Amino acid sequence: MTILFQQLSNALALGGVYALVALGLTLVYGVMRVPNFAHGGLYMLGAYFTYAVLNGLGVPYVVALLIAAVAVALLAALLERLVFYPLRNAPHVHAMIAAIGVLFFFEAVVQRIWGADFKQIAEPIPGILNVGGVVITWQRLLVILASVLAMLGLNFFLKRTLTGATIEAMSQSREGARLVGIDVNRVGMLTFAISGALAAVAAALIAPIVSVAPSMGEVMNLKVFAIIILGGMGSVPGAIVGAFLLAFAEVFGGFYINLDFADVIGFAALVLVLAIRPQGLFRRGT
Amino acid sequence: MLEVQRLSVNYGPFRALHDVDLTVQEGEIVVLLGANGAGKSTLFRTLSGLQRPSAGTATWRGVPLTGGRPEFNVARGVALCPEGRLLFPDLSVEKNLRLGAFVHRRDAAGTERELGRVYDLFPDLVGKRHAPAGSLSGGQQQMVAIARSLMARPQLLLLDEPSLGLAPLVVEQVFAAISRVNASGVSVLLAEQNAFAALGIAHRGYVLEGGRVSLQGSQEALLGDDRVRSAYLGV
Repeated sequence: MTILFQQLSNALALGGVYALVALGLTLVYGVMRVPNFAHGGLYMLGAYFTYAVLNGLGVPYVVALLIAAVAVALLAALLERLVFYPLRNAPHVHAMIAAIGVLFFFEAVVQRIWGADFKQIAEPIPGILNVGGVVITWQRLLVILASVLAMLGLNFFLKRTLTGATIEAMSQSREGARLVGIDVNRVGMLTFAISGALAAVAAALIAPIVSVAPSMGEVMNLKVFAIIILGGMGSVPGAIVGAFLLAFAEVFGGFYINLDFADVIGFAALVLVLAIRPQGLFRRGT
Repeated sequence: MLEVQRLSVNYGPFRALHDVDLTVQEGEIVVLLGANGAGKSTLFRTLSGLQRPSAGTATWRGVPLTGGRPEFNVARGVALCPEGRLLFPDLSVEKNLRLGAFVHRRDAAGTERELGRVYDLFPDLVGKRHAPAGSLSGGQQQMVAIARSLMARPQLLLLDEPSLGLAPLVVEQVFAAISRVNASGVSVLLAEQNAFAALGIAHRGYVLEGGRVSLQGSQEALLGDDRVRSAYLGV
């Protein structure tokens, strides 16, 4: 029973991180109709920025997380301007190839500056919390709480503010949004910035648990693309449900069957869902 | 006044509009008749800023509308209720309407006032205001689309085939609403295939054929014209 709860906390923490990264990707897809293959690169940069700010400035962990989030948000908005905006009228495959190029570029730059070896970020609150025999590390608890908080904040922004509504409006009808006077370029940049900030927060949260390496972006890319395909491209609830489904499949599959099978189980679930519902769990079939 | 002069629009090698001249005076309802593919929607997309013309000019009260920026045009008082409605289907009716007032986002009181006005115009929408716009019937969705364009408080309303696919009773309701909007001082350019209903409320009209204006005249003249009667009124 104790072990079950520990696996549960592992799955919730992993799912929270997946959800934050996948939400940004699905928002950008909804607004731009282009899969941003550089998204994993933004996640990876978030981890390195956190590492650099922590070591360089010696600020507290939370401050480093926020600085990394703002920095990656600005970079993501710049990415929209420099890469996606100029290619807006080109065939979609151009933007996809450009995004993959950006991903490799980020990796190369990071490797040049920080090297290819793993970096460690110390846990801000070391140790574990023990509640009646159920053990959870403080960091996992922090990951779960912070990711839930970030998701609630995003939900409030999308559902309760006019600026948030412009993002949903644009993903549902781009021309309709233009006709009511929404500046689609501004919304595009804003959506990229939000996706970058969410990816950086996720990376800063998980970095003390996993190691930081240049290749972490590619691995995350694979997972979050699986998640938003699972949940339905562009769907916000789909990204969250997909993220936790994949995390639970990986953690419990890895625990009860074999750790080596963790990734296989996640992708087997993806294949299964696509065979039954090709449009994803949360997207209306058209 | 809306002044369109020698307006031409190309889609690649295909010329959709050819030297179109057209005016809408302040306070008028002008109807644009024409078959599918005659260029009605192209003209509307151009006037709204979604499409840039290859030649010619279009101005509203002297301000050019051809910059290719719809947000500029709607802020200058020209709103399009497009063919196919282009609603935000998963957002509630009321959110659709509030987004319609996006250009007036700093004037919350004005938006509330306008919201009351459009609900007054389309009472059917009051009970549906929290429902996703995509869940409504075709007629109600058309009402949402017209109401959303009114939320921008236009001086010139461009309506692209508002009666398309609607039941006769609903068409009547929609046209009555257009008349009321016009009576409140909004100029209207109305594209229609339902020529009889449209000419019933219009002051003047144009007939588009193959991207050119083939005929123009007053309501009475068009209603009495043999070509209009055979091609668009079915009599």
